Amino acid sequence: MDFQLSDDHRMLQDSLRGILARHSGEALMPALLEAGVPQALLTEAEGGFDGSGAAVALIFEALGRAGASLPLIGTMIGAAALAQAGQPADDGATIAFADAEPGTRYDRGVAISVDGDRLTGRKTMVAGAEGAAAIIVTTADALWLVAPDAAGLTVRPYPLMDDQRGADLIFEATPATRLGALADFDTVLARGVLAHAAYALGTLSAAVDLTLDYLRTRKQFGQPLIAFQALAHRAADLSVEVEQARSAVTNFAGHLDADAPLRDRHLQACKVTLGRVARLVAEESVQLHGGIGMTEEYALGGMIRRLLAADTAMGDADFHLERFARGEPAFA
Amino acid sequence: MDMSFTPEETAFRDDIRAFLKAELDPALARKVRLHHDLTKAEMEGWHAKLQSRGWLAGNWPKEFGGAGWTAIQRHIFEEESARAHAPRIVPFGIAMLGPVLQKFGSKEQQDHWLPRILNGDDWWCQGYSEPGAGSDLASLRCEAVRDGDHYVVNGQKTWTTLGQHANMIFCLVRTNATGKKQEGISFLLIDMETPGVTVRPIVLLDGTAEVNEVWFDNVRVPAANLVGEENQGWTYAKYLLTHERTNIAGVGFATAALDNLKRVAKAQRHRGQPLSDDPLFAAEMAGVEIELMAMSTTNLRMLSAAAQGQAPGIESSMLKIKGTQIRQRLDALTRRAYGGQAMALTLEGNEGPEGADEALAASATWLNNRKLSIYGGSNEVQRSIISGALAKG
Repeated sequence: MDFQLSDDHRMLQDSLRGILARHSGEALMPALLEAGVPQALLTEAEGGFDGSGAAVALIFEALGRAGASLPLIGTMIGAAALAQAGQPADDGATIAFADAEPGTRYDRGVAISVDGDRLTGRKTMVAGAEGAAAIIVTTADALWLVAPDAAGLTVRPYPLMDDQRGADLIFEATPATRLGALADFDTVLARGVLAHAAYALGTLSAAVDLTLDYLRTRKQFGQPLIAFQALAHRAADLSVEVEQARSAVTNFAGHLDADAPLRDRHLQACKVTLGRVARLVAEESVQLHGGIGMTEEYALGGMIRRLLAADTAMGDADFHLERFARGEPAFA
Repeated sequence: MDMSFTPEETAFRDDIRAFLKAELDPALARKVRLHHDLTKAEMEGWHAKLQSRGWLAGNWPKEFGGAGWTAIQRHIFEEESARAHAPRIVPFGIAMLGPVLQKFGSKEQQDHWLPRILNGDDWWCQGYSEPGAGSDLASLRCEAVRDGDHYVVNGQKTWTTLGQHANMIFCLVRTNATGKKQEGISFLLIDMETPGVTVRPIVLLDGTAEVNEVWFDNVRVPAANLVGEENQGWTYAKYLLTHERTNIAGVGFATAALDNLKRVAKAQRHRGQPLSDDPLFAAEMAGVEIELMAMSTTNLRMLSAAAQGQAPGIESSMLKIKGTQIRQRLDALTRRAYGGQAMALTLEGNEGPEGADEALAASATWLNNRKLSIYGGSNEVQRSIISGALAKG
């Protein structure tokens, strides 16, 4: 058994850390593109050079830790799906992944319907829809490609919890290209779920580190907060949960290419664990900080919102727990 | 034992319901339900409607212009108001300063300030917390130095809720830096129009700015604005805090949140069915409802004991902890009911997903209500109060 990163992955991690230390905001995406990070998210067959669970996990954990909110998960899912369907995307183009629907938690095909090769209805909370070169849309049982300038498509943008821009997509007999059955893209979608979980891991590690720093430095009643046992024990519990979350991501990353039933159990276990720990860290890190943790100026606030968003994306802890308990596949 | 309300209490509740039905604008109630910020005019307008019935200060004795309600009547009013999504009565003048002035203020202070609270001439805010003195309030440093018939105030306050609307602030200030920390604090009333007062909003993680920082730079305050005696402010502050904690259980708010959660769960689809039919989710909702049923009775038992003259002790700390836990659980469940739609965070003024005001409110409410377990003495401080009392036996 070997939990160490390979030399290639260590180099990838080092280069990523360097980029994230030097660039932020709008400068980050071009720097990641230039360094070929998106290609590391795709397999060779998809036009990339890695695409392994380990690469996806380490890249998104680093992005989460750095607090980078980019439409990279949708782009990764979209590029892989297009490649698998024989329609490779342009390098450097943003692709939006439209999955969530209004009026339902995670049911697909409730608010959107298919008539031949036309879509009618609505998708919601679509990250990166503005300026996307392509939009990948889920329906009840299939994956579709829609051009951003397609007739009958309206994009209504608004801000998301994680500081990305999202949008409602309104389809009125919008022409679309069917890429295939949803079930045929399960490895692609699984990679997206792993990305959200690893992003949450990076975010919650950063939130717990920030909280521990605060407890060590902030004084009340003449002592640092960490000296109060009631707070110290909760900090200890959080650090235990961070390790659980890391192991859950490791399990799933290591089984990303396993047979579907085994992979899906790890996928569900991972998303349940990350969702649970993300919510716990969101609640506890604010509480352990007190009022300052609720302010926009302090770094924790954005972390809390990104944690909640990462839990919510592609099925939250409740959704995957139910499927795990019933022994159901992740995508069907 | 009689678990039902008396005929008088029932009639009182019917009165409150009829008033809310007639006077509460549905558009305003919707804003309250969706957790949108209310304007100053909206809050003042609601105060004025209540005052026209003599109901603004339910907790004040009639001699001071209040309604003189019993604890049970106040509970009924608060529960009915919350369930109808009426604006909350801004507590700083009515619930906090009023009782302090009535017990410790001079006749002149009572005659001048109390009517102005009721008729809306003054909007008060609270100057307690400081950057270095949150839960450890006694370590506050904002100082007031006597200079003739004035005090000169220098320092900073923080978490000043709705201070952006206020023209007056009641402050705890340090008037003696030697000796025991609690014994050098005074209770001072400060006009916020005085030169040297600066207010800066603090933006919270849900995007709202309901709290502020307040700075005092050589602010001259008439010595007549000192409440009670110099250096005795800690006594008055503690008295105020017991009043602040009277509705801390928030049964009405929790009941309103549960009603809302049930409505959302009924409308939201899960596996093609209403989410409320899903056994897992239904069990979670039932779990909180059962907690609320017990807490509601705990609250009434304690109110009833208080009405019979038993002084509230650690009970208010217990209600604070349990009440805030229940409300935060309800907020979390409401977010979870929305699943993928809980991803947006759009407040009033921004355009959000069409027809998704309710989902937006769910995330904003979750974020904003993290404060419940922090403010008014954090739940950790409440646990210390309880365990301290238990240790004494």
